[in-house]
Amino acid sequence: MLEYVEKIRKTAGKLFEEDKVDVFIGYKKGSLPMMNQPVLISNADQVDLLHWDSNCGLNLCNYLTKRTDRIGIVANGCNSRNIVTHITENQISRDQLYIVGIPCKGMIDHRAVQRAVKQKEILAIEEQGNTFTVKGKDFEDTFNKNDYLQRNCLVCTHRNPVIFDEMVAPPVEEQIEVDTYKDVKQIEGMDPEKKWNFFTRIIDKCIRCYACRNACPLCYCPTCFVDESNPQWVGKSSDPIDTMTFHILRAYHCAGRCTDCGACERVCPVGIPMRQFTKKLNKDAQELFSWEAGLTLDQRPLLDVFQPDDYNDFIR
Amino acid sequence: MGIEPGRLHFSWISSAEATKYVDVAREVAKEVKALGPAKHFIKKRAEVA
Amino acid sequence: MTEKIYTKEEWIKALSGLKSFYNIFVPVRDGDFHTFKALDEKKIPDFNFQNTRLSPKSLVYPQSERIFAYTLDEDTPDANIIKESEKDYSPKAVVGIRPCDAHAFQIVRPNFDNPEYQDPWWIQRYESTTLVGLGCNAPGSTCFCTSVGGGPFSEKGLDALLYDLGDTFLIKALTEKGEAFLENAQGGKEADDAALKAGEDLAAKAANKIEQKISIDKLKDKVQTELFDAPFWDDVAFACINCGTCTYLCPTCWCFDIQDEVLEKQGDRIRNWDSCMFPLFTLHGSGHNPRAKKVQRVRQRFMHKLKYYVDKYNNGVQCSGCGRCVRNCPANIDIREVCELMNRL
Repeated sequence: MLEYVEKIRKTAGKLFEEDKVDVFIGYKKGSLPMMNQPVLISNADQVDLLHWDSNCGLNLCNYLTKRTDRIGIVANGCNSRNIVTHITENQISRDQLYIVGIPCKGMIDHRAVQRAVKQKEILAIEEQGNTFTVKGKDFEDTFNKNDYLQRNCLVCTHRNPVIFDEMVAPPVEEQIEVDTYKDVKQIEGMDPEKKWNFFTRIIDKCIRCYACRNACPLCYCPTCFVDESNPQWVGKSSDPIDTMTFHILRAYHCAGRCTDCGACERVCPVGIPMRQFTKKLNKDAQELFSWEAGLTLDQRPLLDVFQPDDYNDFIR
Repeated sequence: MGIEPGRLHFSWISSAEATKYVDVAREVAKEVKALGPAKHFIKKRAEVA
Repeated sequence: MTEKIYTKEEWIKALSGLKSFYNIFVPVRDGDFHTFKALDEKKIPDFNFQNTRLSPKSLVYPQSERIFAYTLDEDTPDANIIKESEKDYSPKAVVGIRPCDAHAFQIVRPNFDNPEYQDPWWIQRYESTTLVGLGCNAPGSTCFCTSVGGGPFSEKGLDALLYDLGDTFLIKALTEKGEAFLENAQGGKEADDAALKAGEDLAAKAANKIEQKISIDKLKDKVQTELFDAPFWDDVAFACINCGTCTYLCPTCWCFDIQDEVLEKQGDRIRNWDSCMFPLFTLHGSGHNPRAKKVQRVRQRFMHKLKYYVDKYNNGVQCSGCGRCVRNCPANIDIREVCELMNRL
C-alpha cells in the first residue's frame, strides 16, 4: 500500500492549491514501528508529512466530529463507512468533506507480529507489497502480510471506500466467502453460564482507561454515560460488575452503527478482544434487519426506522 | 452475554393500551419469578482493595 | 551491606522460603505481557522480561481502594459514622522491579508524604514494602531513564538490587529493609570479587546501551505562562484520543478521585485512580469545566510532569523514563518529543 503515499501527498497539495480545503487529515509516520499517527495539516508545505502503510489503525473519522471547516481526509473502507455514519448522524456535513478514497488491503495486527517474534523488541518495519520485514537488535524476520492481518481485516468485506471524491488507486478485490461471524456463532452456542464466564474472562484485565471508547468514532457524546455523575449510571471503581456494565453499554451504543474498523481492539493497552461484544450486534443487525452500517447516505440508520415486517411480533 | 432467555423482555405498548400493559407486566413478572433470582450482573459491595 | 550470589534455581527456592516473611510479588507472564503477581505454586516468576505492561505502582497505590465505610442504618448506634476501613499492611516484597519503577516511588513520594500532608494509606503501604530491583542488562529503545536522573542499574528507591549474571544472580542489599530481606533469604553464598566486578561491568555496559537522550535542563528556567501559551499544543494534542492509557500505565501519575458508593444502607468511600485526560477530572459542581477541551487536558499532563512538578518540588521531572506511555499510547503521543519541544522553546 506504500505506493499510495505519493498520490495522497499530491492530492492533498492540489486541494490546498485549489483552495478546496482548509485542512487535511491523514496519517504521518509514527515515532515507533507499527504505529502511525493521525495528523492534521493546514497548508501545502506540510504534505510531505502524510504517509500511508499497513499501520494506520486509528479511525480518522474520530477527528471529524463537529468540525466547521472544509476538510480533506483519507478514508479506506471502514473509515469511509464511519464517515457515512457521521454524516447521517449530523456530526459533519458531506459538503465540508473532500474524501480521498483508499482501497485497503488490511492493517497489520501489531500484537500478532510481537507474538511471532516472541515479544522481542521490534525496532523497524518495512513493507514490500504482500510481505513485511521486522528488524530488532539481533533478529530479522519476513512475514506474509495476509497471515498477520488484524482480525477485523481478515473478515472485512468492504475494503473499498463506499464514499469518496477521488480514489488514490483502482478498487481492490473484495474478500468473498469470509466467515465473518464464526467466533460469534461459537459464543451463541454456549449456555448463559458459559457466556457470562466468557465475557467476564475477556475483560478481566480491563483498567477502565476508556481507550476503546475514545478510539471509536461512534463515541462522540458530549458526556459519556460513564462520566455522568448526576445521576451516576455506573461506578467508577475497578469493581468487575461496573467494568462489565461499561463494556456492555458501550457495545450497545454501537448497535447498528459499528463498521468493525477494529480501532477499539487495536488500542487496548491490555489486549481485550472487545469486538466480541460489538460483533454480535453487527451480526444481529445483518441477519435480522439486513443492515450493515454506513454503506450509503440514502438510508436512515437502523435504529431510526420502523419496518412493518419486523421479525418481532410485539412491534407490529 | 449470559443473561438467561426469559429474563429480558421487550414489548411495544401504546399509552392508550392500559390493559395490555397490565397483561405484559404480569406475564414478565411470572416468567422472571419462575427463573428465580438472577445470579449475574448484580452490583454488590464494590470489590476493591 | 550484604552481597550474595545465587544460582537462578536457588533464587527461586529462596523466594519460596521468603513467603513466610513477606507477601512476594514477582513478574509473571500473563498472555502477551508481564505483570506483577503474588508468588504462588501456580505462577512461575519470569525475570526474563523488558518491563511489566502495567507499572507496579498499584501494589502501593491500588487503582481502587476502600478508605472509609459507614452504615446508614438508623437502628444501629454507629449510624452515619464514617470509619476507616481495615487495610493489609503486612510486609510485602516486590522482587524484580525495574530501577525506573522504584525511582518512580521516590518521585511520587513528595505528593503523598510531605511536611504538610501525609497520606496514611500510601505511606503505610510504601513502608511495609521492600523493593528488590532487577537491573536492566538490555534496556529498551523507548527507555530514557538516564535522561531523568535514573539508570538501568540505578539504586534510587531500591532496598536491594539484583544483577543478572547469566546463570546466577548477584544481589546487593542497599538499605536496612534490603538487609532484612537478605537475612531471611535461604541459600546463596557470599559474593566474591569476580562476581562484584561482573556486576559493575554489566551496569556500565547497560548505561551505554541507552540510546535515548532527552533534554530537560532548560525546563526549570522557563516561565510557566510562556510554556502554557506555547504555539505547539494544538499540534501535540491533535491525535490524542484522551484515553487514560498514559496516566494509568505511568508509574508516576498519582491523581485520584474519591467516590461514595451506597448499597442499601451500606456506604463505602472509595478512592480511585483518576486521569487528567478525562473531562470529568476537572468538572466543577457548577457545571463549569476549566479544562473542557482536549488540548487543555493534554497540556496539563505535560505541564504537570515537566514543569509544575519541577518548580514545586525541585526534584527533577515527574517521569522516570520507563517509556510505557511511549510504547502504549494508541495515538503515538510521545513524551520524548513533547519534552524536547518544551525544553527548546
